[in-house]
This record gives sequence, structure tokens and C-alpha cells, in this order.
Amino acid sequence: MDFEAVIGLEIHVELNCTTKMFCDCPNRYGDEPNINTCPVCLWFPGAMPRFSQQALEKASLVCLALGAELQPRSAFDQKVYYYPDLPKGFQLSQAHLPLSRGGGIYIVDENGQPKRARLHHVHMEEDVAKLVHEMEGRLPISLVDFNRAGTPLVEIVTEPDFRSPYEAMEFLKALRTQVRYTGCSECSMDNGTMRVDANISIRPRGTSQMNTKVEVKNMNSVRHVGDAIAYEITRQTAAVQAGETVILHTRLWDPDKKVTTPMRAKFEGPCVPDPSVPAIELSAEWIENMRSRLPEMPAARAERFVKQHGLTPEEARFLSSDLDVAGYFEALIREGIAPRTAMHWLTTQLVPALKERQLELGASPVTPARLAALLKMLSKDEINANAAREVLVHLFDSGETPEAIVTAKGFRQVSDTGALDALIEKVLAAQPTAVADVKKGQGKAMGFLVGQVMQASGGKANPKVIRELLAKKLAT
Amino acid sequence: MTGDILPDSVFIHRSPETAASKGGPLRGLQIAIQPNISAAGWPTEAGSNALANFKSLEDATVIRRLRQAGASLCGSTRMSEFGFGLQGSQAGGALQDQAADAELVLDMMGESRLAAGRTGVCGFKPSWGLVSRYGLIGLIPSMECCGILSASFTDVREILKVIAGPDELDFSLPGEKPLDFSPQNIDPKNTTIGTINEAQDGLPAGQEEAFRASLDDLNKAGFAVREMSFPDFPLFSPVHQIVGSVEASSAAGRYDSVRYGPRAAGGKNWNEMYLLSRAIAFGPLVKSYLFQGAFFQFERYEAFEDACRIRARLLAGMHALTSHVEFLVFPAVEAAPSTTPASLPQTYAQFASTLFANVTGQPALYLPPGRSAGHSGIQLTGPRLSDARLLSLGEQLLHLGRGGK
Ligand SMILES: [Zn+2]
Repeated sequence: MDFEAVIGLEIHVELNCTTKMFCDCPNRYGDEPNINTCPVCLWFPGAMPRFSQQALEKASLVCLALGAELQPRSAFDQKVYYYPDLPKGFQLSQAHLPLSRGGGIYIVDENGQPKRARLHHVHMEEDVAKLVHEMEGRLPISLVDFNRAGTPLVEIVTEPDFRSPYEAMEFLKALRTQVRYTGCSECSMDNGTMRVDANISIRPRGTSQMNTKVEVKNMNSVRHVGDAIAYEITRQTAAVQAGETVILHTRLWDPDKKVTTPMRAKFEGPCVPDPSVPAIELSAEWIENMRSRLPEMPAARAERFVKQHGLTPEEARFLSSDLDVAGYFEALIREGIAPRTAMHWLTTQLVPALKERQLELGASPVTPARLAALLKMLSKDEINANAAREVLVHLFDSGETPEAIVTAKGFRQVSDTGALDALIEKVLAAQPTAVADVKKGQGKAMGFLVGQVMQASGGKANPKVIRELLAKKLAT
Repeated sequence: MTGDILPDSVFIHRSPETAASKGGPLRGLQIAIQPNISAAGWPTEAGSNALANFKSLEDATVIRRLRQAGASLCGSTRMSEFGFGLQGSQAGGALQDQAADAELVLDMMGESRLAAGRTGVCGFKPSWGLVSRYGLIGLIPSMECCGILSASFTDVREILKVIAGPDELDFSLPGEKPLDFSPQNIDPKNTTIGTINEAQDGLPAGQEEAFRASLDDLNKAGFAVREMSFPDFPLFSPVHQIVGSVEASSAAGRYDSVRYGPRAAGGKNWNEMYLLSRAIAFGPLVKSYLFQGAFFQFERYEAFEDACRIRARLLAGMHALTSHVEFLVFPAVEAAPSTTPASLPQTYAQFASTLFANVTGQPALYLPPGRSAGHSGIQLTGPRLSDARLLSLGEQLLHLGRGGK
């Protein structure tokens, strides 16, 4: 029998709020263990949660960026389970009344067809503490770091709309783009600001039944999500074909062995409303105000790039899919650089150069103003493209302006016809065959002669001027 | 100037403080608390082994406000485990021994009112949401409230004035306008007080007569008393028990012996460490309550949902009654301190006529009997946030009962 997969995703996104969700402790990653704690997030007797307005705002922006509908009333519940990473024996989460319902984003499937992946809901919740398992001699010990306890999260729950690992991966990339645009989260699976669980079941292709699903956790890159889903589809298909029944359980992805293995279920019960965090009531005005704070999203920006700057839809989509790249592009435009030049230099020169140096665009020593100054010299023919590429390398290592580097390194292009005349005469005398070929009408030979003059100038000559001078001389 | 005095039969901790040097409305007032109200540095065991040797890190909001108003805290009295019921509680004892002018007692099913009854003083449970819960170590967050015990009505009012009002540490306080606590004249000619027939069902014979006697007092004071029916009334107790036990089971989840509290030896892994530690953390009454809550949450969730719905209905029902009459009067049940450990059903039976106010969040007042009254006092209530008028009514009745002084 031919099977198809039914895949739903649950994505935890850590919000980059300055404080935790229910207290004023810093929401900071990488600090010494247990320094960002207080009676509230350690849940000492008598402490009470104080819901952060910033967390509500950032969570709401994420919902709006995903096309979801903010609910006029939402509330926190107590998700009860016991584990040493959970200081109060329950996690504050929105189980019954989530912050938003519905929504979705467009992805492009394997066949190049656009497809809307729908969201079921988005809810807020607090993160739990981090457990560190170590050995003290021969004794295994478990340490708890409460720095992460109570940090703000949203959980994005999709409909089971994906049919392949590819679609799931495309969705995660698109989701990351949307959320990063809001500036509310870094959304990186690398550092755990985005965590993904996948629910996978299989069914005979073409049917609409929903079979028992298996949850897979512990993937730490988009690629791993795809691999884990692919593995799980194969595993379930084999199991069903062997006459086994799929049972509801949770599995862990093992990135080294590239397999999923069953994990022990956490004891968890139904959620009860939390009596201490007031229900969240959002007015229509508040929601509209949040919507107005939403930046221009990638699709709209790409459309504008096409209209305003004459890029192709592909170029525009590529540029706008990364908030930083799109911003850098627009900064170059503001500096007066032609859109096509800006796009070309940004995507083929600057971004690869940054990658090589493991730098983020936001932290680039080559600011838009410096790159623009370089590109202006190029467009004014003060330097040629080769020289410009070399100057770019120097811009990474030196704080000098491009102009100063060009002068110091002698990159300035020679466009002075008098100075070039002498070089040309020398080359023409040395290359009689090529001269003859040009006169016979062979275009290739002209290129060769231009190259020879360039070489003689030490790469500083303006090729356009050389070409003009050569044409004039050989026409006589 | 301060020095710990040895604990005695009433106090578990005594720390006579000198009054704040600056004046304040409560200057000179000696207040006793219970060790489930956080006072920085004080032993705060909340009557439970789960918090053995625990000392508060900071002051509860009520404590901070009392100190700022010039009151002195004289110590904390022995209490029941987590303030649930009165088993082992000495609430009222500091007043009886004249060691304090007032006491703060957390009221989750009527504890402050019953303790006031056995002491013969006024006991007041404010409206839920009027007094900050920050720093109170309770068990039933949606029902408990800081109660005030004192022989003096003025003190009750002045203390409430100081501790009530919005608190940036307790977001669960509704953002309501501050109440005006100044005494108001309650005109008997324009004020009807209601009784609920169903609230008297099952009263012991002697107590029914006592209740009649207390209604006579109201009539004598010129108030019209109107009998009303509220068939849902018997549901208060099961609703309190189901919702309360589920909340308690959740609230007590923090006592896992990871960050504080005693840790039992012998656990081979964290799971065993949890189970063993929680086994020694709680006494039999609280343990059975927590079991019950876990049962409703995990095995009978629909019953919990029903209880929540019925709670909303009870709230609406009581609200409707108080649109016909301004106040309601309830029997005040005598609560003799018992030496044998109480079971859960016994505990609920004891609080049958007080726990309604915890379910609805209404203010409730226990008023001791006058000199020659043939009863053991009465319990009065009004709509939520009618605290000021309820206190004024109580004060007027008390003065009449004491011979109109
Ligand atoms: Zn904190």
C-alpha cells in the first residue's frame, strides 16, 4: 500500500524580552547558573507572578506576523507535572484560552506550488529551568539552573498540514523569517531560541483519516527536523506494513545515529485555570495599535522592491527573506547606489565575505556607508571592478575610508588618455598579429589587446578608455 | 532592644519590636500574625513540615504596610497546617492573653471568623481582591484572604484601611477604585437584612434558637429582617471542596524539596527523593486534601469543571439576593478547639456556614454577642467590596449590644 505522511509542528519560540515573563529577572542567556533568579521565579512561598506587559506585546506581534487572530480574552492555566526543572509543580501556559487562533503562512512545496500552512493557535507560556547532569566522582548528580525558569515563550501549533519533510522544513524557514522580522526573537535552532517538536502519523495516500501520531523531539536544526520526520515516516510505514499498530508516544531524535528512540513519558494532567494571573483582555484598539507597530513583512517588502527598484520577483524575494540583508540593501539605496549594483555587490560579494569571516551582517565592519562610498568610486570609473573587490577586502581589516585605501594602495584607475597613449603604442608595436586580426574584424583580438594594455598599466587603466583609444587608433 | 522570647503555648515566635519612630495611624498598635504571613527573617513554617526551618526572605505587602503605618508586630501564633481549618491553631490566643491588640489570620474557609467566635472578638474577612496576597503562604489562592481579629472595631477598620488597596506585587487585585473606609451611618429604617433559609438547614437544635435570638437583636436595633430562599446554598460546600482541593494540590506542588524544605534521605533518584520528601512534608489532613485535589484534577476533571460552573452560578445567585436586601445574616457556629485530629468531612462540617464567602469573595464579619444576648454572635455579609458599609453596620450593632455606648 502507498502511504502518505500527516505532519504537524509545535514550535517554541523564546521571546527576546528584557525580563522573564512573571518577574523582573533578566532574560539573559549564558550567564553564571542561578544568578538571574528571585523569589518569584524560584517560586518561594508567598511569591506571586506579575505578568510582563512586554511579553504580551512581543507575543502579540508574533501572532500578528503569522496572520493569526488575537483573542479578546485569553488566560493562563497551570500545566501540572512534576519534574525538578519546574519550580512550582506546574507551568503557566495558556491551555484553554490561547492568545491567538488561526493564521498561517505561505510556503512553496516541492513542485513549486504555493501552499498555505495553517496555524491552529499560538499560546504563551513560561520556560522551565535547565537540568545539567554531571558525575561527582562515581555519583551521578543533577544540577538545576533556574536562570531559564520563567523566561517568556510562545508556542506556535500548526494544523497537520505538511505531507513531507521538505514542506515542514520550508515552513520552519518561512516562520523564522516572519518572526525575525518582528524583532521579537532571534528564532535560532542553534542556540535554542527556536525549538521544534513534530507530530507524525501515516495513512493510505488519498484518504483523510487521522491516525495515531508519534511526537518527535530533540532536533536542533531545520535539517534535523527534516531528517527526523523522514526517518519516522519510514519507520512507521515499515511497522504498519509488518502488521504492527502505531501507539501514541514520544520519541527522541538521535542526531549521531540518525534514528528516533522512544522516551519515557512525562506525568502530565489536564490544566486548571490559574487563580493568580489575571485574564488578558485585549481591546480592538489595543490590537490595532499592535498591528500598526508591525513592520513591513517580507512579502510586502519583496513586492515593493519589484515596484520601486525594478528587481525581478526572485531577486526581491531573496533580498527580503532576510531582515538584515533587506535592511542593508535599502541603506545602500539611500546612499544613492543603483538598485541592481547594490543587490549584486551585497549578495555576491559582501554576504559571502562575511560568511567566510563568520560575521553577521549586523556586525559587519563594512557598513552600508563605507560600501556605498566604494561603489560610488566604481560607478564614477575612479576604480575598476577588480580594484573594488580588492578594496572590499581591505575594508574588513582597516578602519580607513575606501577613498584613502584606493589612494594609498594606488588603485585609482588611469583614464588619462595621454598616459594611456604611450602604453597603447608599446602594446601595438609588440603585438602585430593581434593588430592584423583586429583589422580583419576579429573581435576576440580586440579583447586580447585591451587585456595587454591593462596588464601594462598594472591593472589600473580604465578598460573603457583603452577600448575607445584602441578603436580610434586601429580604425585609421 | 529586641530579643526572642521563648515560644509558648500561643506564640511560636515572639519578637517584640519597638514601634516605628515616625508616627502613623497604627502607631502603638501591637499586632500578632501567623507564620504563613511573610515577615523578613521570621520563621515562616506555615504550620507545616514542608517549610520546616524556612525563614521569610521579605515582608508580605500587608506586613510592609502595617510597619509603615507605625504598627508593631509582636510575634506569630501557632497555626494549623497551611492555615487550613483550625486544628492546632491558636488564632485569637494572643488577644485572649492580651498580648496583642489585633491578629491577622488567613481566612480560606472561615478560619478568622471562627477563631474570632471562640475568642469573643470581631473577626473580619475582607472582599477577595481588596488586600494584597503577596507574601501570604496559602493553599487556595482564589478563596483565601487576610482576615483581621480584634476586640476593637476601630482597630479592625484602621488596619483594613492600611492594608487594603492596589499592590504592584499582586496583579490579581482588580484595579478598582480605592474604597472610602470612613464610618457611615446605616439607617435601620432604610436597611433590610436578609436570611437564607437553606443556610439554617441542619443547624444543631440549640444553635437554631441562638440564631433566632440574634435576629431578635437585629429587630430590636430597628432593622427589618427578611427571610429568603436560595436553594443552591447547599452547593457551597462541595464547590469549595472540589475547587479548593484542586487549587491546593497545584499550589502545594512547589514543595518539592529542591530549593527549600526538608529533604528525606534514602531516595535512589530524583523521583524517589520527591516522593519520600513529600511524604514527610504534609500532615494527614492536608495530605488527604491534596490527594482529593489530585483525584479531581486527574480522574474527575469534569467534576472540577462542573464545580467551576456552579461557582459562577452561586456568585450570580448571591449577587441577586444582595440586590433585594443590603446585607445578609448567617448563623455563627461555635467552634470549640478540639484535641482529636479532624477529618476532612469534619473540617468541612465545621465551616459549613462560613465558607460561602470564600467561594464568592464577599466580605464577611463575625460579631460577638452583646452582654446579655442569648446567642453566640452573628455573621454578616454584603456584596463584594461593600466592606466599608459592612463594618459600619457591625460597629453600630456592637455599640447597641454593648449598651449603646
Ligand atoms: Zn525572577
